[in-house]
Amino acid sequence: MMGLTDLFNMSKPEGDKQKELIRQLAVLGVKNPSLCFQCAKCTSGCEAMKLLELQPHSVMASVKTGFLDEMMNSDVIWACVGCFKCKERCPQEMSPVDVMFILKNWYVMSGGSLPGDYQNLLQGILSTGYIQEPVEVLDKDNKGWSREKLGLPKRGHPKNINGFMSALSQLAAEKL
Amino acid sequence: MKKYTLYPGCVMQTEQYGYELSIREVFPVLGVELVDVENFSCCGEPVKSINQLLTLYLSARNLAIAEQQGFDLFVPCSVCHFALSECKNILDNDGGMRSRVNEMLASEDLEYKGKVGVVHTVDLLYDHVGVKEIKKHVKKPLKGLKIASHYGCHLVRPSEIGRPVDSENPMKIEAVLEALGAETMDYAEKLDCCGGLLLVNLPESALTKTGQKLQAVEEHGFDGLVTVCPWCQRMFDSRQKKAGETVAAKLEVPVFYLTQLLGLAFGLDERKLGLDLNLSPVDKLKV
Repeated sequence: MMGLTDLFNMSKPEGDKQKELIRQLAVLGVKNPSLCFQCAKCTSGCEAMKLLELQPHSVMASVKTGFLDEMMNSDVIWACVGCFKCKERCPQEMSPVDVMFILKNWYVMSGGSLPGDYQNLLQGILSTGYIQEPVEVLDKDNKGWSREKLGLPKRGHPKNINGFMSALSQLAAEKL
Repeated sequence: MKKYTLYPGCVMQTEQYGYELSIREVFPVLGVELVDVENFSCCGEPVKSINQLLTLYLSARNLAIAEQQGFDLFVPCSVCHFALSECKNILDNDGGMRSRVNEMLASEDLEYKGKVGVVHTVDLLYDHVGVKEIKKHVKKPLKGLKIASHYGCHLVRPSEIGRPVDSENPMKIEAVLEALGAETMDYAEKLDCCGGLLLVNLPESALTKTGQKLQAVEEHGFDGLVTVCPWCQRMFDSRQKKAGETVAAKLEVPVFYLTQLLGLAFGLDERKLGLDLNLSPVDKLKV
C-alpha cells in the first residue's frame, strides 16, 4: 500500500464517485469518510491486520483523498473479515468496513472477476434461493447423515420462484 | 408455549445439523414452540461483498414472510441475525428505501411492514426464557467443566443496529453456562473472530485465525469452547484439524453449540442433540 504522507500531498478533487460513496454510506447511517482524523483505532483492533496487513485507517486515508479507483481495484479490501470492530469503535462514527463493502460492490459492478468461491454462492442464490444445498455429513465413524436420516424436516424454497427470480434480475444492475 | 417462527438460514440446515437438532430438542423443554415456514431464502449476508442491495432485498424478503406468520422470528445463525437486524434498521428509518424494496417485493406479493421482532439463541435463552427457568430443567449439572464462550462477531457488533449482547463485554452466554452448573472465565481472545467469512476467498488465512483462537483456548486451560453460530462452529469444530495444521499444532478442543450443552444438562439423549456429528473431540468431556 502507498505511504500515507504521499497520499495527503496529492489529494484528488472531489468527484462523482466520492459523492456516490457518501450517499451510499448515508443509507447505512454512516458518516462521511472526510471526518477521519487518522487515529488508527480501527487498525489497532482490526482482525485482518496482523494476518493480512489490512490497515483500515490507510483505506480511509486513500478514500478521503479521492483515490477511489485505486482502492476499489486493490486486493486489500478483500482481506476484510467483516468483524465490524472498526465500525463499533470509530470515535467519528464512520465505518471502514462499510466503505470496503461499497468498494467491493463497485469493483464487481465494473466487471471485476469474483474472487474465491463467491461465484458459487451467488449462483446458488440465483438458482435455489440459498448459497448451498443440504449435504450428507459424516460422523466420526464415517457414517453419512442426511436431513432425512436425522428426522429433520425437508428444506423449503421460495414458493413463487418466477416472482423471486424477476426481483433478483431487476436489482442486479441497481445500486444501494 | 410461546411461539416463534424458525428462520433456518443456509449453513445450519445444509450441514450444521447438530445446531438444528439440539435447537429442536431443547426449546420445547423450555416452553418455546418453533414454527417452520417453507418460503424462506438466504439472508443475503454471504454475498454482501458482491451486491449490498441484493443482501438488503433478501433480508427484507425473509422478514416480510415472517410477518405473515405473526410471531417473532428466531434466527439461530449470528450472520443471518445480523443481516436481518441491519435490514430492519435501514427500512425502519428510511421511508424511501422501504418503498423501493417493497416495489421489488411486490413481484412475490410480499410487503415489509416492520412488524416482526428478530431474536437469536442467546437473547431467546437469556432474555425471553431466563436463567431461572433454565435452572429448573437442569438434571445433570455440568459440574467441574470450565467452558470458554465464543460470541462471534456478527452477534456482538455493531451496536447501532441493535445487538442482543454488549459490544465489548458480552456476558449472557456465561450466565446461561453458569445456570447449567459450568464454570466460566474471561480470556483475552474472547472477542477474536473465527475467520469464517474469509473462508470464501482466503481459506488459509481464515483457518489460521481459527487455529490461533483454539490454541489460546487450549493454553488457558479450558475444557471446551461453546459457540452460538453455524459459521463459527464449522470453523472451530468441523475444520479444527485443518486449522491445527495452519498453526502447526495438534488441537484437541471439544467444541459444542450452546444448545447441545443445554441438552446434556437437561439429560437429553446425546444422539438427539447431534453430538456424534461434532468432529472435535467432544467425547473427552464426560458429562
